[in-house]
Amino acid sequence: MKKVKAQFNFAWIFAIVVGGAILFLAIFGAMKAGDTYRYQSDTEIAKSLSVITDPLQSGFSEGSFGKISFGQETRINNICFEGGFGKNDISVSTRSEIGEEWNLPGGATSIHNKYFFSSEKSSGLDYYVFSKSFNFPYEISDLIFLTSDNYCFLNAPDEVADEIIGMNIENIEIEHPTGVPLGVGFPGSTSDGANCTLANSVKVCFGSGPQLDNSPYQTGQDCDVMVYGSCSSGCDSVYDEGTVSKSGGDMKYVGNLMYAAIFSDKLIYDCNVKRLMYRAGRIAEEFFAKADLMDARGCNTNLGSDLAVWSGLTGNATSDDLIGLRSMADNMESKNDRELCGVW
Amino acid sequence: MVRKNFVFSGWEFGVRSLELKQRRGQMKIMQMAFMIVAVFFFFVLVGLFFLSIQFKDIKGGAAQLQKEQAISSLKVIADMPELSYDSSEAITLDEDKLKVMAGGFGNLYEEFWPVASVAVYKLWPVADELKQCPGVGCNYYELYDNGQSNVKTYSTYVSICKKVKESGFVYDRCEVGKLVVGVKNAGG
Repeated sequence: MKKVKAQFNFAWIFAIVVGGAILFLAIFGAMKAGDTYRYQSDTEIAKSLSVITDPLQSGFSEGSFGKISFGQETRINNICFEGGFGKNDISVSTRSEIGEEWNLPGGATSIHNKYFFSSEKSSGLDYYVFSKSFNFPYEISDLIFLTSDNYCFLNAPDEVADEIIGMNIENIEIEHPTGVPLGVGFPGSTSDGANCTLANSVKVCFGSGPQLDNSPYQTGQDCDVMVYGSCSSGCDSVYDEGTVSKSGGDMKYVGNLMYAAIFSDKLIYDCNVKRLMYRAGRIAEEFFAKADLMDARGCNTNLGSDLAVWSGLTGNATSDDLIGLRSMADNMESKNDRELCGVW
Repeated sequence: MVRKNFVFSGWEFGVRSLELKQRRGQMKIMQMAFMIVAVFFFFVLVGLFFLSIQFKDIKGGAAQLQKEQAISSLKVIADMPELSYDSSEAITLDEDKLKVMAGGFGNLYEEFWPVASVAVYKLWPVADELKQCPGVGCNYYELYDNGQSNVKTYSTYVSICKKVKESGFVYDRCEVGKLVVGVKNAGG
């Protein structure tokens, strides 16, 4: 009886130990396989983001808008690397049901030829992507803005309001708290003219220009982001250059970089501006060589020396240099417009 | 003697029966071990089967994404300010910029190109042999090549234009060309 009990016990102990080991291996393998599958899926999404933003390059249009929807809450990580042409490393992670709030991100996709302006980490189910071209003074690249938050533009100038409404950007609302609402970027909105209707919206206040009253939106109270226009000569709007002020710090901008400063973190903004300036310098070098070729066949240009200087100035420029460089850019643009052939 | 023999036989029987039971026990353990190993290998094989299916999917997905990227990069490259003739005209290349890029400037861009190679061919007049630009009577520009082997090429027709001044007038002289980009063959 004792022997039988001993045999029974041994068999059970053996089965439990080995069975437990197999079960552990099976669960471990399943978890690893799940992780691998998730990593694969997140990596594919990051790569897809690079591909699906290709048609968003605005080309000769004013800009373009697109919406990306995910099946589950997703975080997009944007890491910017400067130095030469630099790059944006885009990676994606999904919300975790156990342990940490977010799973480890999938493989990052390095994008060298695009400029993604976003928060370093943004999360949500729906992402809104729109692009605007950046000319300084010639076309340098399209700027791609990636956001998941809602925005409310308060006291935005007509040019900005028209652009946003024209592109039908769903997550940006235009409000004039002191007057009649300009409407929102999509039909069917019920704006009451005083409050932003989009949920949890980031309030972006335009603080310069004609003062309509002493509303808190013009003095900077109740605003998450303030835009101060400072253009005084040779500009279509006072907001052609200025400063965007938010919790992360102040960002100097010219032209469409205003949107970049509004929608991105200071770190991403400064890094991408450096990348853009480096590219501007390279294009100036190319234009300098092109000017020689044009001269050789009688299409003379006087921009050669300007381009050489411009290339040197922009090569290492930062966002703080933008406003200082703008007058020279305007000068080069008017020179180019006056020429018969024109370098660009 | 008989009794002794009987006692001895009983003891011998006891030892033998114990040995037999031990052998049976060992056999059972061996059977169980073999079974467990067999079950383990079965699950390993099932896992490998699923993994192979999954990896096939990954390869397919990567190839599809690469193809999509190559096709969309044709327009992206043609519209790059470093190559485009006029930002208001799509898929039109500037011949002067092509000459500058083909003269070694394109290699400065290296990783910036989203593809492995970029070349532009003039399609008219039809030439018997390819002559690389810049040069007299040349008909193709090699803008960039990272030297990768086993590349798959994708192409699109483009206009190649330059501004020409004749008798005090400036006009755009355009030719038909083909932009060819190479991407690493994911299948290979």
